[in-house]
Amino acid sequence: MTEGNEPSGGGPTDAGAQRSGGSRGVEPDYRFTLANERTFLAWIRTALALVAGAVAVLHLVPLNWESGLRLAVGFALTGLAIVITVYAPLRWLRVQKAMRRDQALPMSALPVITAVGVALVCAVVLLGNYWS
Amino acid sequence: MQAERTLLAWQRTLIVLVAVALLYLRDPLLPGGVQTGGDPLNRLFPVLATLAALGGLIVHLRRRWRSTEHGLHDDRTGRPPAPVARPWAMVLVSAAACLLAVAAAVGAFAG
Repeated sequence: MTEGNEPSGGGPTDAGAQRSGGSRGVEPDYRFTLANERTFLAWIRTALALVAGAVAVLHLVPLNWESGLRLAVGFALTGLAIVITVYAPLRWLRVQKAMRRDQALPMSALPVITAVGVALVCAVVLLGNYWS
Repeated sequence: MQAERTLLAWQRTLIVLVAVALLYLRDPLLPGGVQTGGDPLNRLFPVLATLAALGGLIVHLRRRWRSTEHGLHDDRTGRPPAPVARPWAMVLVSAAACLLAVAAAVGAFAG
């Protein structure tokens, strides 16, 4: 969203209004749409990294942890990943609509949820290692 | 450049998706390097579904990239295409990642 303060192709354009997928407003500068798409993809990669961690904890790596602790960590990671995969496309759509209507971008709780969730998982992993 | 960077972001994401799917398919590690050699068929369905989605995404991205002159021109707007992939492709890649997450969680119960 921060790239290019002076769009070479102009700002919002009527040219793309017809392909706005039913949304009102005009299509924003293509660079902003592409930045929104890359942000969406970065969230999906974050979710996939969480899934990889969950697979390691739940299926791959032998851990001398309490069974409940292992499941709690694994389910927390998969839960976070599911929340992100559900929310990321909705977030993309909301941002896209806001840009089409020339409104301020909506805030999202997802970064906070992810940061707090990962911090909690890290704390539990530390406990798991010392409480095994 | 922006479209090319976005295409690279798609490619990175799809590569990570393949890596996670193959990680899920792998046998559990055991102490001493012993492998169970267990039957991974119960893990095969979500991986195959993910790979099928992946194939569709690759074909879609490839076709769209070529039809838009390597991300330079959209006939309808006369400008670079935005987004690089159609919105349904975003839903599909989200669904594939979600499927892997659900499979990992459910598989923990099934053993």
